[in-house]
Formats: sequence, C-alpha cells, structure tokens
Amino acid sequence: MSGAVLAALGAFIVSEAWQWTYSSEEGPGPGFFPLWYGIVMVVLSLLLVAKSLLPSATARKGTDWTGVGRALGVWAAFAGSVALMNVLGFLTALALLTLFIVAVMYGRPLKVALAVAVGNAAGFYLVFGLGLQLNLPVGPLGF
Amino acid sequence: MNFRTSIVVAACAAALAAAPAWAQFKPTKPVELIVHTGPGGGADVLARFMAQVIEKENLAPVRFQVNNKSGGGGLTAMAYVVEKKGDTHAIAVFTGNWMTNPLVRKEAKYTIKDMSAVSRLVLEPALIAVKADSKFKTLKDLIDEAKKNPKTLKQSGGSLTSRDNVVRQLLMKVTGADWAYVSFKGGGERIAALLGGHVNLMVVEPQEAGEHIKGGNMRVIATVAEKRLAGFPNVPTLKEAGYDVPIVPQVRGIVMPPGVAPDVVAYYEDLFGRMTKTATWKKYLEDQQFEDGYMNAAELSKFFDVFSTQMRGILKEAGIKVIR
Amino acid sequence: MEVFSGLIHGFAVALQPLNLFWCFVGVFLGTVIGVMPGLGPAATIAMLLPLTFNMPPTTAVIMLAGIYYGAKYGGSTTAILLNVPGESASVVTCLDGYQMARKGRGGAALGIAAISSFVAGTVGVIGLMLLAPPLAKFALSFSSPEYFALMSMGLAMVVLLAGDSLVKALLAMLLGLWLAGIGIDLFSDDSRFTFGISELLDGVDFVIVAIGVFALGEVLGNMEKRGEGTLLPVPKGLRNLLPTMAELKDCRFAFLNGSVIGFIIGVLPGAGSTIASFISYGLEKAVSKHPEKFGTGVPEGVAAPEGANNSETGGSLVPLLTLGIPGSATTAILLAAFILWGLRPGPLMIQDNPELFWGLVASMYVGNIMLLVLNLPLIPLFAQILKLREFILYPVIFGISVIGVYSVSGSLFDCGLLAGFGLLGYAMRRLDYPSAPLILGLVLGDAMESALRQSLMMSQGDLSILVSRPMSAGMLVLTVILLLLPLFRKVNVWRIKAIEENG
Repeated sequence: MSGAVLAALGAFIVSEAWQWTYSSEEGPGPGFFPLWYGIVMVVLSLLLVAKSLLPSATARKGTDWTGVGRALGVWAAFAGSVALMNVLGFLTALALLTLFIVAVMYGRPLKVALAVAVGNAAGFYLVFGLGLQLNLPVGPLGF
Repeated sequence: MNFRTSIVVAACAAALAAAPAWAQFKPTKPVELIVHTGPGGGADVLARFMAQVIEKENLAPVRFQVNNKSGGGGLTAMAYVVEKKGDTHAIAVFTGNWMTNPLVRKEAKYTIKDMSAVSRLVLEPALIAVKADSKFKTLKDLIDEAKKNPKTLKQSGGSLTSRDNVVRQLLMKVTGADWAYVSFKGGGERIAALLGGHVNLMVVEPQEAGEHIKGGNMRVIATVAEKRLAGFPNVPTLKEAGYDVPIVPQVRGIVMPPGVAPDVVAYYEDLFGRMTKTATWKKYLEDQQFEDGYMNAAELSKFFDVFSTQMRGILKEAGIKVIR
Repeated sequence: MEVFSGLIHGFAVALQPLNLFWCFVGVFLGTVIGVMPGLGPAATIAMLLPLTFNMPPTTAVIMLAGIYYGAKYGGSTTAILLNVPGESASVVTCLDGYQMARKGRGGAALGIAAISSFVAGTVGVIGLMLLAPPLAKFALSFSSPEYFALMSMGLAMVVLLAGDSLVKALLAMLLGLWLAGIGIDLFSDDSRFTFGISELLDGVDFVIVAIGVFALGEVLGNMEKRGEGTLLPVPKGLRNLLPTMAELKDCRFAFLNGSVIGFIIGVLPGAGSTIASFISYGLEKAVSKHPEKFGTGVPEGVAAPEGANNSETGGSLVPLLTLGIPGSATTAILLAAFILWGLRPGPLMIQDNPELFWGLVASMYVGNIMLLVLNLPLIPLFAQILKLREFILYPVIFGISVIGVYSVSGSLFDCGLLAGFGLLGYAMRRLDYPSAPLILGLVLGDAMESALRQSLMMSQGDLSILVSRPMSAGMLVLTVILLLLPLFRKVNVWRIKAIEENG
C-alpha cells in the first residue's frame, strides 16, 4: 500500500522535474537529479507493490487498529497544540497537551494529570524561559 | 479652583501629555537590528560591528540587538520587516539581494520599495583573482585565451544571480569571450577550488583575498570598482584594463519598516550619518576594504529604482526570468 | 623539533588561569548546548561574540573552540537516552545508543560515547598539531569529483543500514534525497518543490526532520499501548551504569576508526560531522564480525560515530587555521570572529600568531580532559532520567522537540513541519521502513547533487571526469565494492549451505 503512495510521489517528482531545465549551457539543470531519482523511486515502489501482491507474501500480522488509533490521537493532539501555540502561548499549549496525554492516554486520575501538566509547564518555563532566556510564543495571559 | 480654571489646567495637562508625540524621536528600548543571514554571514558580521561602534561611541541611548531572521534567501527577513509596520524600534541591514531577489522570485511578497529607506552605507568592491602560478598575468591574457578557446576556462562563484556571474556575463557580452561557471555554496569552497587548480579564475572580495595574496597563493588581475582600491594600488580597474562595463555595486545599508513617521526615519538617518563619521567606522572600512557609499534616505530611495532597473536589464541578458 | 617547542609554549599559554577558566566555561557551555536539541554551537558562538571583544584573542578562541568540541560531547546524551539527536551529528548515535538504553545499558552507552569522544578528540588535536600544513594541501586537491565519489560512498552505506528490506531502505533514502532538494537551487536560483510557500525556500531543516522522525516517531509508536509507567530498565549500582571492560574491548577498532575517519573528513571543507559519523558507522559495521547486530544496541555502534564527530572538530580547524577557509557553519563564524578581533586568517596566520595556534592546540588537550572529567560522573545522574514515568517523559519530549525547533528558526511553520515529520516517522515505524537511510539521503542529497553538477560543469558534460582522477576513481571503486558486499555475503551463505547439504 505504501508502495502505491510512493509511486505516486515518484511520479509527481518526475513530472515536476520534466518541467525544469534538464541540462543547460551552464551544466546540468535543476531538473537533472530529481528526474533520475524520481524515476528510480517509481520503479522501486512499483516493485514493492508487485511484491505485496504475490501470493507467497507472508501473511501480515493483524494490525492493531486500536493502537494505531491511539497513536494518531496523540499526534492530532500534538499537531493541535502546535497550532494553538501562537494563540495560547507555548506553556499553556504544552500544559494542555500534557493533560491530554496523562489523563486520556494513560488514564491517570485528573488530579495527577493536572499536577504533571502544571509541573511540566513550570519546568520548561524555569529552564528555558528564565534560565536560557529563549523567546517562546506567548498567549493572551502573558505566558 | 473654580470650574473654568480647572478646565484650563486639565487642558494644559493634556497638551503637555500630548507634547512628547511632537518632540524629537528618541528610542526608549533596545532597537532590533534585523539581518537576513545566520550568525557569521556577511550582513550579520557588519550588523554586529555596527552595534559595537554605536555602543562604544555612545551614539544612541539604547542598545542595538542583532536579530537573525535567515531563510527564504532573504525573503523571510524582508517579510518580517514589512510586517513590523509602524515599529519605531526595528531597523534592518539590507544588501543587494533584497533588491534583486524580488525581481526573480515568485514567492516574494514584498519588494524593497515597501520599506522605508534610511541610508546606504558601504559598497563592496571585488577583485578578479587567479592562482599565483597561473599563466594569466593580466585580464587581457585571460580574456584572449577565453576567446580563442571558448568554454575551456572555468570560474568559481555563487549562484547564477550573484554578482560573480553578473560580472562574468557583462564581460562576456562586451568581449565576445565565453567561459564556464561553476557554482559553489560558500566562499571557502570557491577559494579552495581556485587554489586547488580546479578553476581558473574567480571574483573575490578584498578581505577574503588579502591573506592569500600575502601568502603568495593568489594573484589579483583586475578590480571591479569605479576606482582603484587603496589596498591594491597596482591593480587596474576593469575600465582601465580596457573593458568598459557598468560596475554593479554590491551594497549594504539600512532600511526600516513602512508606516513610520518622518522624524523617526530622520533620527536613524542622522544616527548612521554620525556613525560613518567616527574614526572607528572609517578604520573598519579601511580594514575591510569597503568603499564608503554613504547616501541619505532620499538619495537611497532613488538608488533603489536605478539599481532595480539596471539589474532587470542585466538579468534578462543573462537569460534569467524576471517577473517583477 | 619545532612541534615540540611549539607545544610546550602552547601549554604555557593554555595553563594560565585566565585561559583555563574560559576553556572550562567554553566546554561546559558547549556540553549544555549539545544536550539541547536544536540549539547548536554555531548560534551559541555567534551570540557570545560580543562577550569576547574584551578578551585577548587567544583566550577568546580557546573558549569558542571549547564550545565547538564540547557540543559534540553533549549531543550524544539526549540521543542515547531519548532518541532525540541533540546535534545533527548525533543522529547516528541514536541508532545503537538508544537501543542500548532500552536494554538497560544506557549508562554504558553514555560512558562509551564520552570515552570515544575523548580518544577521538585527542587524536584530532594531535592530527591538527602534526599534520596541519600537508593536510591542507590534501584538502585543496579534493574537488567536486572527489566529493561526489565520497558522497556516493556514503550513500552506499545504505546497503549496510538496510535491515530486512533493501527496497524499503532505498525508498527511504530516495525520500531523503527528495527532501534535500526542496528549496532554492543553488545553481540556477530556481525554486524546487516549494509549492509557493516562502518558508520552504531555504529547504527543510535537517534538525526538524531528525527530531520529528526519530524522537516523535518513537514516542508515537510507544503510544500505541497503554503503558504501565516505567520506561526503561535502569540497573542499580554504579558498576552497572558504566561500560564493562568487555564492551570497551569490543570498541577497540571503533575508537581508531572514528578518530581517523572523522579527522580526515573534517579536513575536507564542506563535508560535515554527520557524514563522518555515517561513514564511520558504516565502516564499523562492514568490518564487524556480527554486522546484523548493528541497530540493536552494540557498543561499537555508539563508539564509532561518536568518535568521528569529535575528531571532525579537530579536522575542520585545519583548513580554517592553515588557509583561512571555513569548512562548516561553525568554522565560518570562527572565521568572522577572527576578522572581528583584527586577526588575519589565511596561510600566514599560524606564522604570524604562533602563540594563538599553539595555545589553542594545547587548550584542546586540556579541554578534552575537562570534558571527560565533567561527563563521566554525570552519567549516573543522566541515567536517572530514564526512571521517569512514561507519562511524564513523553510530554517532556514533545516540549523539548518544539523548543529545539523553535529556538533555531523562531517559526511556528517549522514546528508544524515537525509535527508532519513526526507522523512520517510513526508511519515509517509501522510500515517497517528504516529511518536511518532517510536521514542519510537528506544529509548527503544536497552535497552530492552539487558535487555532481559542479563536476559536470567543470568537464563540460563529460562524465569521465569522475573516473579519470585517481582519488575519485578509487572511492567510486570502493563504493561499488560496498554495494556488492551483501551479494558476497549471500553467495557465501549459499556456498556454506550447499557444502552442508552435500557433505
């Protein structure tokens, strides 16, 4: 399956590279290298797809979809917190993320989650904000 | 006090409170000095030096803090400056790149005309150099060889829109000669290519070349400037050597975000004017072999237009697509 | 002998209280910076430049150099403990270092990293001291065709990093090559694969990819199961936290390998410590008696790259001090610093400033010793980090990753990219794609393409330039051998099987 995705990417690369100068008077152009590795990518990924279609391919162990769901959930939370950093400030966003991870992912009681969230944010503030004087995005509350 | 008096007093107080807005501008907190390179890059080094001079000579009541906004080939810094509209405590070091880049890049959101000109400070001349044991003793030798055997000689330099290539294109056009160009990312690599004998010539900056010449590894055969350099009195300019090409200067100077009051611009214009008059600055120019290219705000604004027009012409000749 | 007298003089300079103090400050700061992902020695040195204006240049360069090589020591700490490369060169250390930590040998890994860094760092200084001028000539003879051959050799290492599926490894590498190509093309000023987004004009920063794919990918992978709490086994007792004699014995060759390769590659302007670590790792795996164990946590897999990235520091100072040519971002800033202090870097610099050169060299010996003494006792302390519960540690890793990226570029777009690469890292783990080739492709892609195009520009399109020059031809032959190695091994296995079946 991933083979198909990569084949598509490879095809995209090749199509873009086609539009650029392959070779100019000055030397190989920007299209030269991408064209070649794009082609190799397409070939290899098609190979991968072919392999997985062969009957002799070992049976894949059943995918643990719940597990994948959990991981993706955390990822979504992380991406969301990054997006919110500008609005809420780094420390708040981090605290929220921590809260989510501890409470939801690990199922610890809310009190513990809050404690860890605040502790985490405080720790970062001390080490990076005060200690190293880095400029972290601030939210409406000033942190 | 009766009612009328208190109104007058209140009015006076209000007027006094509003007065500072009309008074001479003076910065009240550290000024941000924006550069488009990372630490160690050309603009960065210059900015740090300027901050040092300003502090040492007490030219301003506050510190100047260098802020590196590298990325996007300079476009990130440019966007940052324009988006700081109205900020009176932000200035930036611009280079020739800021004028040229928007002409060719579609990703550019702003041009240098979107910013407030403050002053132009230095012009960086360049030298044409060959390896010390090269058979080319003058520029003419080199060009003659290039004419006889097109595409055999090689020059190391930066990207195709850099000054190195501009000089090459101009010379090739005027003489009909033709030689190859090999791009290298850093100045160090370009010099290494020359000293290792892998290329025949390069356009180099005086402070880069100085030590190699003293050490006997490099020979300089022409100066890319209007007049000869103090550090290289025996090296002819391009014109003197017989090649009348326009000298496209490599410039650096100061700009500010748009939307600032004229007296704010005047303050910084005056500040940098005073800086260029200090002995420390003059010595720096001498050490670095820069030319004093001072222009005030009005002159600089006009220069932007002149330079952009000139560059458009040159880029088109070199076959590079111009989109603005 | 001139070297000897110079060195004595140098120690006289280096051991002055002022210089000792600033040397310590430098190496200490360097270690701290190295531990922190994202923030690197280049930016730190730039920030501290104003501080140096009031110091004598010798003292200043001692301190700044201390930051430079100190950072290499620190970078391995987070790489081993958290799979977060603290410095770009520490990426390779993640491969086996983190696996050792998972097996409970984290302390040992840290120890091996420190010792290897010390040995290699010292060798690097010795090399700098004895071989500087002749090596400078060697560096100059290296040009684009040779670089291309060197990079090809590096990419051939992918074969050794492949694991089960060579096809997947190759695809990962190609993906890395593509990522490397995003941005402005140096030669033509065209922008490639930027989708019109100006933040992508400078390409994708290596740090973002490395932290995203390695660290975040790992964390996300671990999130699949609801864990119990403790992360990794941490053995009790000091003895178990340090490398055993057996492990150190295994690393004998790795120490040598790392030192030599790192130094030589450091001398070449443009080739960086990341490339040095990869090649050293690959070489170690190639000559090892148990190559299949690499990637699961073998000590040599930590010793080789760690050594390489430390001796590279010594090597990269060679072109800087003997020719005034900077070979990397950090040496470029050092060059700028020299100029700002009024020194004239170039071929005559050592001649004109012997006290500076020898003082620096001597201080590097001292600095390396200081670093060893600093780092070893801290190992038990650092190892305690592993005792933290998962649900505390992982949010911290998220936070550190964001800070690491943000502190370098100050852009939330980059943090968004980080999230994207985290997802990629997770996907790669699930789909069994090895991540090391991705990094390899990313690091080498740019350099390799430039070298190829420069070579062709020089030869006006003639490909034979790559094989007509002795050094590049030699390296290309090595590359081919490397690529055929797995074939040799397979053939060997078949032969043995055939013999067994017949006999």
